[in-house]
Amino acid sequence: MKLKVTTNILTANEKIAEGNQKIFADAGVFVLNLMSSPGAGKTTLLEETIKRIRDRVKVGVIEGDIAGEDDALRIDALNVPVVQINTGGACHLDANMISSVLDDLPIGDLDLLVIENVGNLVCPAEFKLGEQMKVAVLSITEGHDKPLKYPVMFQESGALVINKIDLKPFLDVDVEKIRRDAVSLNPSIRIFEVSCKTGEGLDAWVAWLLTTIL
Amino acid sequence: MHEVSIAESLLDVAVDNCRQSGHTKITSIQVLIGKASGVMPEALLFAFDSMKEDTIAKDAVLDIVEVPLRGHCNECGKDFEVEDRYVLACPSCGGLQYTVSSGRELTIAEMEVE
Repeated sequence: MKLKVTTNILTANEKIAEGNQKIFADAGVFVLNLMSSPGAGKTTLLEETIKRIRDRVKVGVIEGDIAGEDDALRIDALNVPVVQINTGGACHLDANMISSVLDDLPIGDLDLLVIENVGNLVCPAEFKLGEQMKVAVLSITEGHDKPLKYPVMFQESGALVINKIDLKPFLDVDVEKIRRDAVSLNPSIRIFEVSCKTGEGLDAWVAWLLTTIL
Repeated sequence: MHEVSIAESLLDVAVDNCRQSGHTKITSIQVLIGKASGVMPEALLFAFDSMKEDTIAKDAVLDIVEVPLRGHCNECGKDFEVEDRYVLACPSCGGLQYTVSSGRELTIAEMEVE
């Protein structure tokens, strides 16, 4: 016999994500899902951001990687509570992985929880974790064609941080095209051009982040 | 690569629905996959076929229906459909005030059970 179902395939993940969202809302913590390709500079952006806001905001971090704990050690060195999730092969974090580590973080004491997703421009955008906002990081060495090649990530993100702009003189990249395509895909996206190496542009990013979370 | 997780979720949802209806075997599943969903049908099919083996869906055929990306322009009032996986502007008037009406689906539509 035929069964009419009409169920979203990711319904199980979305239910857990809703549960996470409620926990975060009850604890009064703003949760940000940070996504990019491998090597775009998510962890460095996070380090530089934490250094600039930690006097005003209590930050916690969940690091997602396929293997290893290098990123968690870098965050731990800043004396910020951090948990490392190793997905063991999965190319993205899902809501259940987040739910399973929440007891390891002092959620109730935090103002901001950053979830650094697995480096990947495709899959993380599909899986809700319970975050309030997604932020995409794109480094200019990746090329200006990325927003149109990986549209979902840019459509889902509230902000786009364009990193490594100190390298602009050495590259043929068209940063204006990145901006134009990202805005076409998502008219409300906020865009910041930064260099985590020189510090250029980080003040504007940090100021916006603070007004968003507080 | 996330097609593996999606196939896993798909199997969970399908098996639950089959059991709840009092049946014990799934023979086919029809899914709607939007062209802008970020899922590759071939990869989903491959993942589904390799994961169904030890389940009540082991003989199930996965029927993937691709849903085109469609929208309505709020500036010129026309409906449109695009071939791409994304839409940047209304194809008729170039307007940016449009609403996407389909193309992001990841849905199980119906299944045959015994």
